Amino acid sequence: MAVETALPQIKGVKDVPYEELFVSGHRTCQGCESALVMRHMVKASGPRTIVLGSTGCMYVANTTYYTTPWVVPWMHTQLGASGSAALGTAAGLKVLMRKGKLKNEKINVIAFCGDGGGADMGLGAISATLTHKDYNCLVLLYDNESYANTDIQLSSMTPYGAVTTFSPSGEKKRLMHTRWKKNVPGMLAAGHPESRYIAAGCAAYAVDLMNKIRKALELGGPTFVHTLDPCPKGWDYHPQYSQELGHLAVECGIWPLYEVIDGMCNLTGPTRQIAEGRKKRKPVIEYLRRQGRFAHFADEDIEHFQAEVDKMWTDWLIPGVIPFTIPAKDQNILKIDKKPLHESKPA
Amino acid sequence: MAIETKSRESSEVETEVLATGCEAIAEAIRLADVDVMAAYPIRPYDGVMQAAAKLIANGKMDVEYIVADGEHSQFEIVKHACAVGSRVFVGSSGVGWFYAFEAIAVTAGLRLPVVAICGNRALDDPGAFGTEHNDSLAVRDLGWLLPWAETAQEALDLALMAWRIGEDKRVSLPVAIGLDGAFLTHSQHIVKIPSQAAVNKFLPKFDLGDRLLHPDNPITIAPQVDQDWLMEIRRQNDNAMRQALTVIREAHADYKRIFGRGGDNPFLDEYMTEDAEVVVIGQGTLSLPMKVAIRRLRKEGHKIGLVRLKWFRPFPTEEIVKSLTRFKAVGVIDRDYSFGSPFYGGVLYNEIRSALYSQAKRPVIVGFVAGLGGREIEQNMATEIFEKTEAAAKGGPSAGDVCHWIGVRE
Amino acid sequence: MAKTMEPSTRERPAVERSISIEVVYRGIFQKTLAQRITRSVVLAARKDGHTGTAFARYGDSPERNGVPAKQFAVVAADEIELEASMAKYEPSVVDVTIAVDDTLVKGVESWAWYGRQPIWKPIRKDGWLLVTSDKSAQEVLAQTDKTERPFTLGIVPGGASFAGLWVFKDDHTDYRVLGALAKILPEWISLENAKAASQELAKGDEGAIASVQLGYDSTTMRPVKVGEGTSGHEVLQFTKPGWTTMRPGIVVDARKPGERNPYYKKYGARTMRPVVNFDTCIKCTMCWLDCPDECFEVTPEGHYEVVYSACIGCGICAQVCPVKDCIVMVDELKFTDNKDKWQEWKKDRPAYNNWFEKMSGVSADPKGSAAQAAGSTGATAGGDD
Repeated sequence: MAVETALPQIKGVKDVPYEELFVSGHRTCQGCESALVMRHMVKASGPRTIVLGSTGCMYVANTTYYTTPWVVPWMHTQLGASGSAALGTAAGLKVLMRKGKLKNEKINVIAFCGDGGGADMGLGAISATLTHKDYNCLVLLYDNESYANTDIQLSSMTPYGAVTTFSPSGEKKRLMHTRWKKNVPGMLAAGHPESRYIAAGCAAYAVDLMNKIRKALELGGPTFVHTLDPCPKGWDYHPQYSQELGHLAVECGIWPLYEVIDGMCNLTGPTRQIAEGRKKRKPVIEYLRRQGRFAHFADEDIEHFQAEVDKMWTDWLIPGVIPFTIPAKDQNILKIDKKPLHESKPA
Repeated sequence: MAIETKSRESSEVETEVLATGCEAIAEAIRLADVDVMAAYPIRPYDGVMQAAAKLIANGKMDVEYIVADGEHSQFEIVKHACAVGSRVFVGSSGVGWFYAFEAIAVTAGLRLPVVAICGNRALDDPGAFGTEHNDSLAVRDLGWLLPWAETAQEALDLALMAWRIGEDKRVSLPVAIGLDGAFLTHSQHIVKIPSQAAVNKFLPKFDLGDRLLHPDNPITIAPQVDQDWLMEIRRQNDNAMRQALTVIREAHADYKRIFGRGGDNPFLDEYMTEDAEVVVIGQGTLSLPMKVAIRRLRKEGHKIGLVRLKWFRPFPTEEIVKSLTRFKAVGVIDRDYSFGSPFYGGVLYNEIRSALYSQAKRPVIVGFVAGLGGREIEQNMATEIFEKTEAAAKGGPSAGDVCHWIGVRE
Repeated sequence: MAKTMEPSTRERPAVERSISIEVVYRGIFQKTLAQRITRSVVLAARKDGHTGTAFARYGDSPERNGVPAKQFAVVAADEIELEASMAKYEPSVVDVTIAVDDTLVKGVESWAWYGRQPIWKPIRKDGWLLVTSDKSAQEVLAQTDKTERPFTLGIVPGGASFAGLWVFKDDHTDYRVLGALAKILPEWISLENAKAASQELAKGDEGAIASVQLGYDSTTMRPVKVGEGTSGHEVLQFTKPGWTTMRPGIVVDARKPGERNPYYKKYGARTMRPVVNFDTCIKCTMCWLDCPDECFEVTPEGHYEVVYSACIGCGICAQVCPVKDCIVMVDELKFTDNKDKWQEWKKDRPAYNNWFEKMSGVSADPKGSAAQAAGSTGATAGGDD
């Protein structure tokens, strides 16, 4: 029987562990929130962890060149392979322990990917992994809203209208990118009911994020956490404001914080306060005007952005999480008698 | 139906079965105590995955069997399982193999001894299930060991050797066994399945040593590099491939000693070459109709023979030179194509010519492309191949500067 | 074909056939500026009948905020002469180094194993180091590594011009630099053609020509002799292993617990550093918690000390600190070492607080600043309630 290493919920900032498993000396930008996510991620998981890192800033920047900031064992994987890396690593450890070829113990497996590698190329592999309930692993998607490592190109996570090198603003086209950001954590939660834990977090809410990672690792099975990481290089703002922009993204209702845990959806942090009416959503212009990637926005662009964010809150079944809803005339579907057709057998 | 055959030691019983090359390899997976395998359907290799699934469901072996969402994922899954110390198995064919190409490239770069079969299949477009070797050959520069099997028996034998050779610390490179689609993947032959006791003597446990990815061994694997580092890393892989020749020889000798199979030469299988003036050379099952032709044509007085190449990578240059310089002409039969190459020859043709280039005494080397898309090599084609090779022997040094397409309708 | 020569031995030939210029800059913040400078060099020299190439150093890419990067312009008499500079990552010797942020004179460390290189390393004997600065040549020279060969230090007036990827700060730094180049390389870039090229690049901004003239007139030159400069900066050099000793399987050792990366310290990426008022600190943890670069050590008393050999000066700590003026970002050029400061505060608080005030320009007195929440930019004190 494996001895479980408990990862208790962190009570507050004073309860955050001191141990550093992702240390100074990585070639990330000043103010890189993705690097902070890496630091918090392994702080939360502790040293009995194997990290697989797919190509992107958190690979290239961290290890440029032929070096490492990682104290825990770390291995590179391919851009779209985080799901597979998590699955293969977890399966390998499981069978080796079962066969007695490795000491039986809890080893956390975390595979991370950026928004490019996770929401675009590797989404299929992540989806597959989330259906494998026999394997314990966490896929962490760090979202800086672009293919940042290749010098900022748009991905399916890039917000509406944002400037990237694939979507410059020019005389003929003010906005080249008019796609709305895909709802990845909600999509994965809705589509993979066997995954016990799927969450959205942000390093501006460090304790919330670390606790989400710990829950994912403690519950077991395949899990997923998606973080929004302000990126001073791609978003064009002074690095000192990285934390502030994370707060604004949440306070404007653009990036809801939540978790779906064993089929239950909990909103967390300011998102919960907004949903409960205790906090008012800030207008998105407060967030947009702080970033050079939106400097070209006309009034109508800001209005459209606000309207889409409003929809997440006014029209969605679960605000910020599940986009579709039920016609007013069918609302009684929500009141269906929940008695199962077959009685579950007594223990 | 299994027939038991006792070998010298009563505890080491070989079992005789009627099995396809794929099914034979499934037995090798069982005997090797593979830990993780990843499956994805594509013909004709996936018979091995179906056979393995049956063994697992019936409790004959304990392997983590993961059905992937695509070949790229499939090969990534086993690569990472290997990195944490699992013995692994994977495979694909044709364009499926190509879908995994990124993973295939990095697996060799990482020096991870993944063992795969490539159920050789023609590449799309158009779709075709028949055998061609271009899928395997496409990775020939990357550091994968590439042997080809002639029979289902050899497929099993090569599989067991693959784990032994690939996992040897001097090599630590992945191995892809070429298995001709249909003829080997789907046809049943009599195969002797060795005993577990015998296999245990041949195949040590997989041990990554200080490269194991585990919290007790803190390492970072594959940090980003630039021009200041990559050449040294490539040189290490070059060195490993050089070492592979030695390791293959050792494994072959051991295999012969324990199982009594493998032929005289680890790299080449020679047939009626002792007094031959002219030979053909190729890899895989094309040797079989060629052997039939040799026996037939010898009755008419032709002094001909066959050299079957067993290992394409590492290329056994020394053995090839030693063998082929004995002959007046060599007809290279490529079950592959290399459009636009020198003399429009196939891959094997140009590699063999390169190996022999500096020899003072060289045979005329003429090229043939045959059997593409799984087209059978019929006896009239075999005859044509020998006739053209014999003609080349009389034709002077440049008589080989040509590639003949055999059995194609004009 | 030009031979590859050591900067120390390459003399200025009587008749030069090509000239190489590098711009050393803060990655991303000055990427566009560096590009504009290198391009303007080639375009201006073209008007004088020369040919040329401008390129960024491949290894710097993708650039990271603050991490020193380089771009180059090579101007040559003809295409054959230019060939010697093609298919190379960077020139081994340059005639002029332009540092567009004066803190770069403290040394250039661009990636792991690179070491910390003196700003003058590739400059040929009797070449030039142009630095954009609002400080005196003496102040700048005081932070430059002791030089091994003579060169001329030119101060182009103006502070460091920082911008982002999408929005460029057009403060004419590039035109002033071009003017300075026209002064030191008149046979390659005439003042007249520097102005003509700038006029085209500025697309109607007439002030550009004036800025070229300003750079030409106001850049002060200071010859630097061998041995001038400071030996106070850390020596950080590495020898790379070969294939026979590198671990197989592309494996490197992990960092040990408590260690920081010895192959890449990264402090050369900062233009400002945080100074801490330990007296007003309320030990809220936010600076330590929110530092992406793990630059804080926790002291036995629960304070958080900046590890200056790791800090890259992003300023997040100063922003998230809830106490006004408890963490203040200060110009890096004011500091001559990376010594950690908490011990000094422990030993002699008044002396430390004097130092704090001198460096930061704000009062260290808790009553003076009052332990109040920062309110100016609406920054909240961290996200964890």
